[in-house]
Amino acid sequence: MSDNSSKEYWKSLERRSDGVRPLPVAGDEFASVPDAPGGERKGVELRRRDFLAAAGFVLGSATLSGCARAPVEKAIPYLVAPETIVPGRATYYASTCGACSAGCGMVVKNRDGRAIKVEGNAEHPVSHGGLCAVGQASVLGLYDSHRLEHPLQDGQEATWEVVDSEVTHRFDAMRKSGAAVRLLTGTVTSPTKRRVIQAFLKSFPNAKHIEYAMLSTSAICGAHRKTHGQSVVPRYSFDKAAVIVGFDADFLGTWLSPVAFTAGWSKGRRADVDTKNFSYHAQFESRLTVTGGKADRRVAIAPAQLGSVMNRLASLLATRAGVAFGATGDDTDVHAPVIEGLAARLWHARGKSLVVCGSQDVATQIVCNFINHMLGNYGATLDIARPFAEGEASDTGAQELLRELQSGSVDALIIDNVDPVYDLPNGAEFEAAIKQAGLVVSVADRINDTSKLATYVCPDHHYLESWGDVTLGGGFVGFQQPVMRALFDTRSVLESLSIWSASGSHKSDQALVRETWGDQVAWNMAIHDGFARISELRVASATFRNAAVKPIVDAGRPSGQELALVLYPKVAMRDGRHASNPWLHEMPDPITKVVWDNYASIAEDTAGKLGIETGDVVRVTLADGKSPAIELPALVQPAQHDQVVAIALGYGHPESARFKQVGPAWLEGKPTLGDNGLVGTNAAKLLTYRDGTLRLSGEHVSIAKTNRTHSLACTQDYHNIEIPASLVLPGMDRRRPMIQETTLAAYERDGTLPSHGYDAHHKDLGDLWPDDHKYEGYHWGMAIDLTTCTGCSACVVSCQVENNVPVVGRDEVARKRIMHWLRIDRYYSDSEGTTDILHQPVMCQHCDNAPCETVCPVLATAHSEEGLNMQTYNRCVGTRYCANNCPYKVRRFNWFDYAHEDTLANMALNPDITVRTRGVMEKCSLCVQRIEEARIEAKKQGIPIADGDIKTACQQSCPAGSIVFGDMNDPKSAVSKLIKSGRHYRMLEETNVKPSVGYLGLVRNRDENEDPTHHG
Amino acid sequence: MLTRDSKLQTLTVVLLIGAVFSLATLVARLGAFHIPGNQQGYAPEQPIAFSHRLHAGELLIDCKYCHSGAETSRHAGIPATSVCMNCHSIVTDTLGSIRAEDELAKEEKRTARRMVSGELQKIYDSLALDEEMKTKPGKVPKPIEWIKVHNLPDFVYFNHSAHVSMNVACDRCHGAVETMERVRQVEDLSMGWCVNCHRTVNHTGIAGTPVDASLDCAACHY
Repeated sequence: MSDNSSKEYWKSLERRSDGVRPLPVAGDEFASVPDAPGGERKGVELRRRDFLAAAGFVLGSATLSGCARAPVEKAIPYLVAPETIVPGRATYYASTCGACSAGCGMVVKNRDGRAIKVEGNAEHPVSHGGLCAVGQASVLGLYDSHRLEHPLQDGQEATWEVVDSEVTHRFDAMRKSGAAVRLLTGTVTSPTKRRVIQAFLKSFPNAKHIEYAMLSTSAICGAHRKTHGQSVVPRYSFDKAAVIVGFDADFLGTWLSPVAFTAGWSKGRRADVDTKNFSYHAQFESRLTVTGGKADRRVAIAPAQLGSVMNRLASLLATRAGVAFGATGDDTDVHAPVIEGLAARLWHARGKSLVVCGSQDVATQIVCNFINHMLGNYGATLDIARPFAEGEASDTGAQELLRELQSGSVDALIIDNVDPVYDLPNGAEFEAAIKQAGLVVSVADRINDTSKLATYVCPDHHYLESWGDVTLGGGFVGFQQPVMRALFDTRSVLESLSIWSASGSHKSDQALVRETWGDQVAWNMAIHDGFARISELRVASATFRNAAVKPIVDAGRPSGQELALVLYPKVAMRDGRHASNPWLHEMPDPITKVVWDNYASIAEDTAGKLGIETGDVVRVTLADGKSPAIELPALVQPAQHDQVVAIALGYGHPESARFKQVGPAWLEGKPTLGDNGLVGTNAAKLLTYRDGTLRLSGEHVSIAKTNRTHSLACTQDYHNIEIPASLVLPGMDRRRPMIQETTLAAYERDGTLPSHGYDAHHKDLGDLWPDDHKYEGYHWGMAIDLTTCTGCSACVVSCQVENNVPVVGRDEVARKRIMHWLRIDRYYSDSEGTTDILHQPVMCQHCDNAPCETVCPVLATAHSEEGLNMQTYNRCVGTRYCANNCPYKVRRFNWFDYAHEDTLANMALNPDITVRTRGVMEKCSLCVQRIEEARIEAKKQGIPIADGDIKTACQQSCPAGSIVFGDMNDPKSAVSKLIKSGRHYRMLEETNVKPSVGYLGLVRNRDENEDPTHHG
Repeated sequence: MLTRDSKLQTLTVVLLIGAVFSLATLVARLGAFHIPGNQQGYAPEQPIAFSHRLHAGELLIDCKYCHSGAETSRHAGIPATSVCMNCHSIVTDTLGSIRAEDELAKEEKRTARRMVSGELQKIYDSLALDEEMKTKPGKVPKPIEWIKVHNLPDFVYFNHSAHVSMNVACDRCHGAVETMERVRQVEDLSMGWCVNCHRTVNHTGIAGTPVDASLDCAACHY
């Protein structure tokens, strides 16, 4: 067996050794000056006299403040105590996430009357207990100081009575006169909302409802209308698929319902439970996504190649199925052998496979349907009888509305929670056209580019304050309930529409939702659970219409060297509707590890040819010259197709101007915002319409270097675990095998990870004081399965919310001062001519022989009787010795008192966790507050803590269930079983620090000859 | 004219007196010295002169009747004004003053007014009620702002229910509240004091029951 170290893992292009360049020095863990270009500064000198003066001042003020009595604190009780609220005790409400349209189930923690944390609902039929980073962060939206606190009339504060009477009056006149009324909304997934809208519009002789979304499902709906006669998005069951093929569909990251898909996908990837039914996943994609990173076979293709590849696959399958298909596809393609192998696998797994496509082109989606149909997947892994969603089959509605507005024929326009001025390519035209409408009523929670044009702005509740419902597919419906009283004088859009309707009846949002379902659901149970099973929503005619199938015509090889644009939603930012959320801006992107920016990703070779380096500002222009060019920094991205320029949507949002003040204000601080006064650049201007759908990719672009630079704050080279350059012996590799992987074939044969000779003889070094810590009660530990970890970063945000981790801003991140307790290390490795991507969540490893503990001069960090490495903030004096001595680089230092001036946002703080002050060290506590809470409850009942009673915040949010926490002393606990797995290893085992956190090596479904450990 | 020697003598005496005086002051101050944050003996005046001696001592009302969170929550809780009204919608003044009003009413040949004592009036005011328990027009109910006596720093997590459910008596930490006219912080609530008790009970148990009181930093600090 060969040595694992023969495979090289690298975090950034700079650190990829090509045998010539020496490995660069990682630099200090805490750099005071950003390493990135543009970080030069003139040193600030501190003279002896200044130091003494400052020291004297500090001593004096400390003495003075020490003499003072503690400030008087008040205890203000309720006037009339609500029966269910006990101050200090959390209550939990089941609801449905409203952060996007996926409808994941959640349980909302309410402490003392305010929602402070959202978690996945483990019993939920769709999301199965996970919740993505966006959902986790959405609780902060509730406490957004930019939310409107009351309705507005012409920009001035108004009352609901005035707004309602005037709006109703105008609408009544329009009902009589037959005036044109248009209602513009996002994709409606709520049956109640659809019903209320229909009831509202029915009373107008000339009314229309227009739905649009920047990331729409219209191509999928359009294709299914043609092939199945139903304009639906099927319900996809990744858990039932043995072979999964993705075509430009980032289903583990951002596509449709990533939490549900990750849960399903990960069920087929449990290497310890069932190696026989381990799924095979191939991904064809143009840019690098988290989905591609997890694929067993990833093929980088240009957007223009997608049609040819899919045609080829369809024709190979058609031959097997004996069905006619008009094309054979290109069998001279470099990927032809891969496609052939895939066709064989798919055919073998008929009825147990799933092919998904993220294209916005209806013709391409039809071929995708055709493939699934030939494989017999409809009814097995795809459900259109009980679909995930129903939707519009084209994206032209908004453009038709634009023309109507421009012609001045719209008398009233109601805009419900959408911002076309920001997120449509011709937003400026919209801005001008909306002013033509006679009456503009906006239902928005804030003043944005669109709502500022409205006569009346009627602020909607946050989704955590309102009643609602969501179609989930599979015969389920999710329910939303208010988990706290509305903070402001806002009103649910359902209620507003009901008041403005012809009957003028004032029904509450609760009554409206309840009315929709009537006797179909047991109401109390449904609200308790957050979802209900209902009788079939629709019975679709599932017969496949072969006549609709045509080969993809614009298929063809990319012409020449032209670059194709790929616009994409980032895992954290999606379509930009959460652009006011600092947690999402500071979450390092799972692939690029960049925070607080979007950028033009360019492949290595292309960048070399164009002479572009990361950080150069480039001008991106559509080849047809229809749209104005945008300028943004470039980022050189490995594993991306050479002919692709990938740009994230959702940035350059006007809301992001608020982050001018984010992060500490100090002498050398640099702004978080770019030159445009915003975070990133809005790429929505580059979206294009073709054949009735809004296209994200495929347009030809040209890219030109400007002579400006913009340094990107990127965490990828932080916290490197290497042997310091000064200590390295000749011939020794400075890198350490932090991440370990194997192939399914090798794992089935050996039942262990490939031996990595390097630590085998280090394994049991014994202890100097073996009886010092016996861990007689509980011994907490954690195991993280790298096979199912996608790097989606839900855990990072969940940890941040739970543990009051501050946001530091772009400049501080550039100074390596990011505060996240849990980071996800992303490694690349070259394999078989492609580049593999590996993710590894790293938090405090809670070593039994913790190096940090022995160097703390004040015993601020110590070891608990249960194996936890504890950090006591009030004892810490900030020497940072512990961080220096930590081999895993997981300790974070508070360089500043991070801003807590936003008293509204402070309401999202967890009251059980100390808000740390300047000058103290902090790190992952394995959610000790949750351990203590469970312990107190167990003690009260006189029983031991059961396995599974404690879920750490990261574990709870993980959509793949990759993180398992528990008692290592209990042989029956889930974590103990995982530790016994042959894939289990601990980082830096040879140092004998004995970490309590372990990892399960990554398994890819590859053949023996693809064994990553068997070459080199 | 004083000689140089006598000058020196006087100076020495003056200095000595000064030194002794400052030393005495220092010793006196040291006796009463609290490290910053130690609020032992703190007994602030409350917005209502509520007497624990009367309620808990004389009337023997259980602590947990008002501080009902103690059994279930981190906070014992300050009772809502509505809890006061459970009794004080009936009990409104001293027997003496009610009788006096009765007598006076008889003499003046009118129905007796409902007597509400000065302190209780504050509770009624807080609920915007008049003596007859009717809502006062134009008044907004406003909760009573009590002054917190036992105040732990924000970096300490203390859970009442964990202690009460293990049969730690209230007076173990709060002292004989039932004897106090105005509540005073009896113990210093320092970490050493907490840890000593945790150590002791691990040996002695509480009321005969063995307990396992944690000595880990993370039991309270996170």
